[in-house]
Amino acid sequence: MNAVTDHLGDIFAGVLTTLELTVLGFVGALVLGIVLAVCRVSPVAPLRVVGSVYVEFFRNIPLLALLILFVFGLPDIGLTYSLFVCAAASLALSGAAFVCESMRSGINSIAFGQAEAARSIGLTFVQSLRFVILPQALRAMVQPIVNTFIGIALGSSLASAVGVAELTYQTQYLNLKYAAAVTFLVAGAIYLLIAFAGAMAGGWLERRVAIRR
Amino acid sequence: MSAATVLFDAPGPRGRRRIALASAAAVLVIVAVIVLVVVQFGRHGQLAGDRWSPFVHTGYLRFLAGGVRGTLIATGVGALLSFPLGVLAALGRLSHNRLVSRLATAYVEVFRSLPLLLLIYAFLLALPRYGLNLPVFWKLVVPLVMVNVAVLAEVVRAGVNAVDRGQSEAGWSIGLTYGQTMRHVVLPQALRIVIPALITGLVSLLKDTTLGYVVSYPELMKTATNLTAFTHLLIQTYLIITVLYVLVNVLLSQLAHHLERRMRTAPRGGGQAAEQLEHETHAATTTAVR
Amino acid sequence: MTTTTRPTRRSVLTWTLGAVALGAGLTACGSGGAADQVPGQKSSAYDAIIKGAPVADTASVDANTWASAVKKQGFLKVGGTDSGPLFSIKDPTTGELTGFDAGLAQMLSRYITGKSDPQSLTRLTITTVDTRETLLQNHTVDAVFATYTITPARAKKVAFAGPYYESGDAIMVKADNTTIKGLADLAGKKVATETNSTAALALAKMAPDAKVQLFQEDAECVAAVQQGRVDAYVLDQGILISDASSNKAVKVVGQPFTKEPYGIGLPLDDPSAKQFVNAWLTKIFDDGSWAKLWKATIGTIVSGEAPTPPILGSAAGS
Repeated sequence: MNAVTDHLGDIFAGVLTTLELTVLGFVGALVLGIVLAVCRVSPVAPLRVVGSVYVEFFRNIPLLALLILFVFGLPDIGLTYSLFVCAAASLALSGAAFVCESMRSGINSIAFGQAEAARSIGLTFVQSLRFVILPQALRAMVQPIVNTFIGIALGSSLASAVGVAELTYQTQYLNLKYAAAVTFLVAGAIYLLIAFAGAMAGGWLERRVAIRR
Repeated sequence: MSAATVLFDAPGPRGRRRIALASAAAVLVIVAVIVLVVVQFGRHGQLAGDRWSPFVHTGYLRFLAGGVRGTLIATGVGALLSFPLGVLAALGRLSHNRLVSRLATAYVEVFRSLPLLLLIYAFLLALPRYGLNLPVFWKLVVPLVMVNVAVLAEVVRAGVNAVDRGQSEAGWSIGLTYGQTMRHVVLPQALRIVIPALITGLVSLLKDTTLGYVVSYPELMKTATNLTAFTHLLIQTYLIITVLYVLVNVLLSQLAHHLERRMRTAPRGGGQAAEQLEHETHAATTTAVR
Repeated sequence: MTTTTRPTRRSVLTWTLGAVALGAGLTACGSGGAADQVPGQKSSAYDAIIKGAPVADTASVDANTWASAVKKQGFLKVGGTDSGPLFSIKDPTTGELTGFDAGLAQMLSRYITGKSDPQSLTRLTITTVDTRETLLQNHTVDAVFATYTITPARAKKVAFAGPYYESGDAIMVKADNTTIKGLADLAGKKVATETNSTAALALAKMAPDAKVQLFQEDAECVAAVQQGRVDAYVLDQGILISDASSNKAVKVVGQPFTKEPYGIGLPLDDPSAKQFVNAWLTKIFDDGSWAKLWKATIGTIVSGEAPTPPILGSAAGS
């Protein structure tokens, strides 16, 4: 137990880094994902292609491969960023593909008649999106996007494999130094907390945007 | 057709001109980015022939193929174990027995919320000290299955919930028990519904096997680290294995889409239901960003 | 109503065929490049040294419980690594395991079994710092050859034959670095090392003010030095010299600051193992096989003649 109590500072720093990675990765994924989703439904064909190629590619790349390419690959072509930035960027890039998919399938899950109705009462493209489609789609998107958030939180553990001193990294380092397996239980509990907090926030959000029928 | 496609009118002449202009601009930007990347590679000597030529060597290709094989084996065994267990966990969660349902729910919620890497480290570094020292392959596959059972259970549960209530009511009304209704009426339909999502799950399973390199199981990622230890061609090796991963995964997703579309042409449940369903199963599977 | 066209059966077939072709291509193509020089190829002398190593007389093997069990098995179950330059590394082109540790394991197996094909003499189980003792205790492996430092603490769990080699952790820096010359200069600097290495612990003890940065693989640590992510990289001198020999952007500075007597890890519950392996070590020290193997592996990087083998039992715990 000493390995935990004597090194609360290390563990706390690890948790903080994990949270920072998660939040930065998620915000980045959200912003980029929205841009990509707009690309995918836009009337400009090359942008649609970019959107779908991006999603196909980044959904299928293992995050670990992306991390290694960022951390050790980019410097070979003259682009060196800090380990933390590389990890946050990798999380954002891969998360964006999932956010984009969630948005697209959220919009597509809205009854076709809703869009027709909106258009037939004379609403423009923007108006139908703003007043009819998005309010309903948003509700359907909350769940998968919360899942993406949790996925990014758990995925941030992979940053330890490229040397970012987040929670998993601190856990295995303490385990190596003090042969203390209890650190794994502590770390597991912290990840559970983060995931449950995310899920609860998601549930609250879902109720907020819920439409009473 | 989806909602997105009826949201705007067919563009008029001015609209078409604007779209053409935007398209041209977009193509220009894309080409510029590609050129920039290639120039950046070239400037740092990463395009030199001798940095890529080793990879056409038979030995290296065979070595990479061995890595792909290791990845596919771990994925296959992982899938064979986690699919049936996932169905079981889903049924457990839906069970009317309070204890069973609570246990299954707890399992699913906990293991959906743990990073796979942490579990693998536990199996690699901590558990051997307590006498649980699995062979390398299982140090990867056991944690993989533990996590994926939880993820798949949610997919299957979404499928069961998506089956029309009338189906189970019909089952009960002809005198079937809960178990019989589930087994003969609901589950067969639910499983058919979630097949595409299960294959998407296969993709994330395959991506998860990359962690095999942590336990030194010879899958594609470990192959890459061996290659770089030997050749020092880091960026080239990882680009090549990244492409290999994307290729294999795209093939799997294509298969998923094919099945999904076949499902959509099924006699009942039109496109709308399929979209709704795709969305629900998607919601259940997106956890797997890893 | 869908705007996307349904894929025909044929398109799926094309994908499947594509997949098969990809797989087949990976295993079969490129056969024309036989003359290609692949970096890091082993010296052809290596196999000859293993094949020329001594074989024990049947009586002494049969009289020893540990050795006769290995003989019955037909090969030696070895714990080690497949990505350690100079000591135990797998050639990706051939799948062959070579190096100083790998070679010694093959020689020991030949000594017991009398067989001569280096690659079928041993079966490797990959071990880490944390798993070596357990794998020996539960007899998953017969012996561990893994740059395994003899320590009194470890000797409580496993038996050590040897030491068979003496090494130590050294420091690698960028070729143009002039400020780091030794251990004392590491204070306040970012220092990389491998996640599961003894160097991580040595650093914590001997350079407590250094900021330790852990990476998974040797190649990643070297890349981190080269790319300026860290100021220095600390690991076994032999491995660092090997890295530096193939990479002009980095160099090794100073002398080893730790003393690492490497031993062969053996099961503690069977004292016949240690006795047998020490007798074999004496034999290969004396007949020159040890020195020849050193020359063909570590000696390809470190200049000069093979050092004098260490004295058996000289390290605490051996």
